[in-house]
Amino acid sequence: MEEEYQQILKNAEAAIKSVETRADFESFKASVVGPNGELTKAMKGMAKVPKEDKPRVGKALNMVKKDLEALFQKHLKTIEDREMAARIGAPVDPSLPVPGESWGGKHPLTKVREEIIHIFRRVGFSVAEGPEVETEYYCFDALNTPSDHPARDLQDTYYFPPQTRFANISQKEKERYLLRTHTSSVQIRTMLETEPPVRIVSPGRCFRRDTADATHSANFHQIEGLYVDRKVSVRDLKALLDYFIKSLLGPSAKTRFRPHFFPYTEPSFEVDFSASHLGKVGSQWIEIAGCGLVHPSVFESVGYDSKEWSGFAFGMGIERIAMILHGVDDIRYFYQNDQRFLQQFQG
Amino acid sequence: MKISYNWIKDYIELDRSVEEVEQALTLIGFEVDGIEETGLPDLPKVVVGEVLERNPHPNADRLSVCQVLTEPEGEPSTIVCGADNYKVGDRVPVALPGAVLPGGFKIKSAKLRGVMSSGMMCSAKEIGMGDDAAGLWILDQRPPVGQPLNEVFPDRDTVFQVEVTPNRPDCLSHLGMARELAAYFRIPFSYPEVFPFPESNGSVDPESLLRKVGVESEENCPHYTAWRIANVKIGPSPDWLVRRLRSVGLRPINNIVDVTNFVLHELGQPLHAFDAAKIEGQKLIVRQAGDGEKITTLDGKERTLSSRMMVVADARKALIVAGVMGSLDAEVDESTQNVVLESAYFRPGSIRATSKRLGLSTDSSYRFERGVDPDGVAYAAKRAINLIQEVAGGEILPPYLEEGAAFALEKEINLDRIYLDERAGFVIPDEEVERIFDSLECTVSRKQHRDGREYWQIGIPSFRGDLDSPIDLVEEVVRLYGTDRIPSGEVRGIGLVREDDASSRANHDFGCALAGQGFQECMNYTLRSGDELKKWYSSGGADSLAVMNPLSVEQSHLRWSLIPGLLDVLRLNQFRKTGLHRVFETGHTFYERDGAVIEANSVAFIWFHNDHQQCWREAQAPDFYNAKAIIQGLGRKVGLDLGAFPPGEMRLTNSAWQEGHSATIGDLSEEGFEARFGLLNLALLKEYDLGGIAAAGVFSLTPEFLEKARPRPQFKPISLFPAAERDLALVVPSDDIGIQVRETLKSIVVRETRHAFTVEDVYLFDVYQGQGLEEKEKSLAFSLVFRALDRTLQEKEVNDVFTRVQKAVERETSYRIRR
Repeated sequence: MEEEYQQILKNAEAAIKSVETRADFESFKASVVGPNGELTKAMKGMAKVPKEDKPRVGKALNMVKKDLEALFQKHLKTIEDREMAARIGAPVDPSLPVPGESWGGKHPLTKVREEIIHIFRRVGFSVAEGPEVETEYYCFDALNTPSDHPARDLQDTYYFPPQTRFANISQKEKERYLLRTHTSSVQIRTMLETEPPVRIVSPGRCFRRDTADATHSANFHQIEGLYVDRKVSVRDLKALLDYFIKSLLGPSAKTRFRPHFFPYTEPSFEVDFSASHLGKVGSQWIEIAGCGLVHPSVFESVGYDSKEWSGFAFGMGIERIAMILHGVDDIRYFYQNDQRFLQQFQG
Repeated sequence: MKISYNWIKDYIELDRSVEEVEQALTLIGFEVDGIEETGLPDLPKVVVGEVLERNPHPNADRLSVCQVLTEPEGEPSTIVCGADNYKVGDRVPVALPGAVLPGGFKIKSAKLRGVMSSGMMCSAKEIGMGDDAAGLWILDQRPPVGQPLNEVFPDRDTVFQVEVTPNRPDCLSHLGMARELAAYFRIPFSYPEVFPFPESNGSVDPESLLRKVGVESEENCPHYTAWRIANVKIGPSPDWLVRRLRSVGLRPINNIVDVTNFVLHELGQPLHAFDAAKIEGQKLIVRQAGDGEKITTLDGKERTLSSRMMVVADARKALIVAGVMGSLDAEVDESTQNVVLESAYFRPGSIRATSKRLGLSTDSSYRFERGVDPDGVAYAAKRAINLIQEVAGGEILPPYLEEGAAFALEKEINLDRIYLDERAGFVIPDEEVERIFDSLECTVSRKQHRDGREYWQIGIPSFRGDLDSPIDLVEEVVRLYGTDRIPSGEVRGIGLVREDDASSRANHDFGCALAGQGFQECMNYTLRSGDELKKWYSSGGADSLAVMNPLSVEQSHLRWSLIPGLLDVLRLNQFRKTGLHRVFETGHTFYERDGAVIEANSVAFIWFHNDHQQCWREAQAPDFYNAKAIIQGLGRKVGLDLGAFPPGEMRLTNSAWQEGHSATIGDLSEEGFEARFGLLNLALLKEYDLGGIAAAGVFSLTPEFLEKARPRPQFKPISLFPAAERDLALVVPSDDIGIQVRETLKSIVVRETRHAFTVEDVYLFDVYQGQGLEEKEKSLAFSLVFRALDRTLQEKEVNDVFTRVQKAVERETSYRIRR
């Protein structure tokens, strides 16, 4: 009997090697330990075993049973491992490129805009936006721009034919529609619907009827800020722009105010910075923004009492700042969208 | 504008370096665009030499060997020279050994083709005096031999190219700039003195020069004067005058014209000198031109005038375009004997309009259109007459003829001390404030309001038309106090209750979502071509998007979609093989609806799969559902579940989308949002040289929609008990869209559940068409998911509901249950 059991185990050990699938495994297992299996049959012989031998033979049978069980378990695991491996394929070469990989990212002008907004948001400004199509009132009249100011020329500003109607852009009266030349129009619209104090930055696309070259684009982006409160001074303006320039260009960057002229601010300044740590910039003064105290007549046109309220406004070109920050020497790169350009500013 | 340093020193004693002056100009508001050194640079060891002998070079045909005397009593030097324009006896500049010429060229004794040469004879260019390099600079005035060249030509000058802002016409002159620098450097400033004219001896009848001045265009010409000068001697101007004019880039003409140009650049008042003999009828009339009237201006061009332009005419014809340019018909030339000098104030608007219409901007029009000193007419004339008498002689025939009058406004502005302090944000001492106004020629008196507050009463000089209100005075004080002295301050950061505009937040979220899925943001121009628009968007409307005055046909219409720009980007990048294939853009787009244009905030993406992409394993091409997944993700960013809207048929008014593989949801004019997505038209892609498949989407929202407040989500409890599921397959017409069948089924399921428990979901898990079904049928299989908040559902209660649902479907719908 004991030999018979051992033989069954030995046979099973030999035969199981050729069992490869789970189905074959199940039938093979049945052929050994199933109701009609070899071992089951052999176990029936136990009845004939003399009583004194029973414990010994029984023990041997149990041993074989246990060994067979282990054999099946082990082989099943081998099959399962093989099945799983087949599902995911051969080991990969981790160094291969990713099929169809795509680098996502934001445009450098978006990144610079978001950085600027972030700096101003830290000191309490929120973002206000407005339409790109504007009217002459919001773009010029309300901003104290004389009616024969050159900026209004057909030469310099895009207008729409008188019959064009815009469903969601309000006119003051029946003035002409145009493409905004600056985002200052957003300041007017915001002040008209908000009571002071006001603290906003308005980024956005602006248009000048300009032929494109390395430093000009008919289509460009500005960000302007407006601060209205009681007793706002030139010193407050300088303090904010100092803070901004240091935040953007590093704590050693310096700011210079040059008196200038804009119709909507008085006094008006152009702002230069110098940042000797920026390699390409060096120690020269470089113009970065325009600013000034809001002209009292601008307040009058939005119904603010200029005796009670004062404020300042500032504006800068996002392309220009991006060019300074990244050392880009031609504005047209921003609108060409060559991946080799765009990718350089990720991360 | 060009400002000569030497010239400015006629009015102020300025002893500052060029750098200091440049910085001062910059800090008081006159940006310096360039600095030009004129005249001779500093050239030690370059002296006057005289050629004593000139012999052929033994070894070179083109060279000569000269003996040149460079010291009056010394030995001549041997100098080899390649020029040919000189002769023995000429005096020329000689660079001696040890001299350094401009550009760092060092002169030393050296052998030239075997002959020792001790120095170099120079051309004008070689020593930095202009561009003439054709030959040696022959010094015709024969200065003494050995004299250093810097002594022969002492007038070195520095010319600043200065930008003057349009509000400061008073600074379009050397005198004006000198006044500003004097105020900044705190140094005295003086006007050029005007002398009384010598009396005429009465030999010439003034009326023979000019009888009458008439101003018809009173509105445009409030003040006109004409001064009669007889017996001038026309000739070249003296050196000092020539130098002054040359320093600001003007060509000398003759002494009379040169004086008028000089005064223009000195005082900022344009003048005009007529040859009296050329004035017919001895009268000058300031009038509007006739429509179509012709004049040949001094630049030799015949110009057609209109009634909106003003001229100064004689009895017969227009002689000058007033304030802009003279004509050939009245010019002072060699034969001129008697002169009429015009000094006038013309209104800025009139001159600006004329200059613009004629496309003609001159030194004169530039000043008139910005506004000359309304009280400066007589002073400028007198100054010019002094100078004419100095350089051309002549006698003045009084009286001068005048129409209108100087109209200097007596303007006073009160500046409160407290207002100045508040706007400046720091305190500038009284004396400093008063000194600044004084140096700007304002009158200053310190006063007190009744309540004791202090203020200054400031009298504004006639040439400062830009000073109108107290804030203008604050600017003057801050400007001349020095912006570099504004003390540093603290950023005032008081929190205000205002959130960023919704469009800004949405674009940020869209950008993050798409960048995170491997899309690269791009930026394209807003203006696009009308042809492209018409091709893409055949239903009219193109005209509404046209700008009135495009610069080119490529940029003539507002963009109606971001997709064309993105396709351009893909084409460029595919062509350049940069590997870019997933792109997006956010920006404003413009939709024409019912004759009106809606400006919307848009985001668009394209996921392009190149058929010929080379890769070791092919990437999977995107399909409609990839586009749908992305657009739904964008919808969620603004609180919209786009999957819950039945997609409308794509308006095939544009050929951008592939029929049967694209859809649209929403409508911009009705709902305030609109999404289009799916595959782009394959034929269109081909036109862009894009061989492959492109899944794309456009999501546009009106600012009004975005600004609508969205309620905060409110918590709904979630069940911890298991769900029960039942599957149900419905045979429906193959045209029916999934979401309609699902909605119908779902409403039945919800109703039949009778609030006993929750219908958690009804989702479509299988679509089948083919064997066992009719041709125009399809089977949609749904899984119904039930759950209760408070218990595990019993088999029976779920089965009851399921049975009722099946009965209801059979009873109420045309759908067949597939078993």
